Amino acid sequence: MDVNEIARQSLLYDFYGQLLTDRQREITELYTQENYSLAEIAEELGISRQGVHDAVRNARKALEGYEEKLGLVQRFLRTEEAVSRIDQEILTMIGLLQKLDAPDTAAESPMKEPAGTETQELVRRLKKVKSIIDRLEE
Amino acid sequence: MVKIRLRRMGGHKKPFYRIVVADSRAPRDGRFIEEIGYYDPMKKPADIKIDAEKAQKWLSTGAQPTDTVKTLFQKNGIV
Repeated sequence: MDVNEIARQSLLYDFYGQLLTDRQREITELYTQENYSLAEIAEELGISRQGVHDAVRNARKALEGYEEKLGLVQRFLRTEEAVSRIDQEILTMIGLLQKLDAPDTAAESPMKEPAGTETQELVRRLKKVKSIIDRLEE
Repeated sequence: MVKIRLRRMGGHKKPFYRIVVADSRAPRDGRFIEEIGYYDPMKKPADIKIDAEKAQKWLSTGAQPTDTVKTLFQKNGIV
């Protein structure tokens, strides 16, 4: 099984695995989570290799069928990508703001202090947004 | 027989694979002999890290990589 394929099947299983039969679930788990070969699964479960092959094929067909109709995995992956890009952008913004803020603090210019406080507040809020995102990804 | 296989870690909707060396007779109890790398398909691009020296060592002692691990090795110039 190709590496991208094992990851995709594994993710499909996370979303729709509960909709498979118990036997299909057991076999799909061994196949995509433990990376067992068809022969190894056959031996482990005491059934024929052909039986395992059929179960894997049927399970995959079912999972792909659910995805075709519901598209949850595709949507999930898109959201993940968007969130991770937003996370990166926020990190960059925090960095820029802190750089902006640093010379003021060093010079200890009383005139610049209000701007510095606002920058700090902005950084604080951006960090808050970032922590919301980070908690989402846990 | 000793096998080199992927083992899924990571939580729900977060597939992440360790590349492990394990006895083919080891039941599904999570035991393995050594971890030689990982594969994180959720990173774009996928993050693959393999300890080439360990991989070579195990291959030379006759450990059998699964087809999936073989393609990972090929991608990383190990075999």
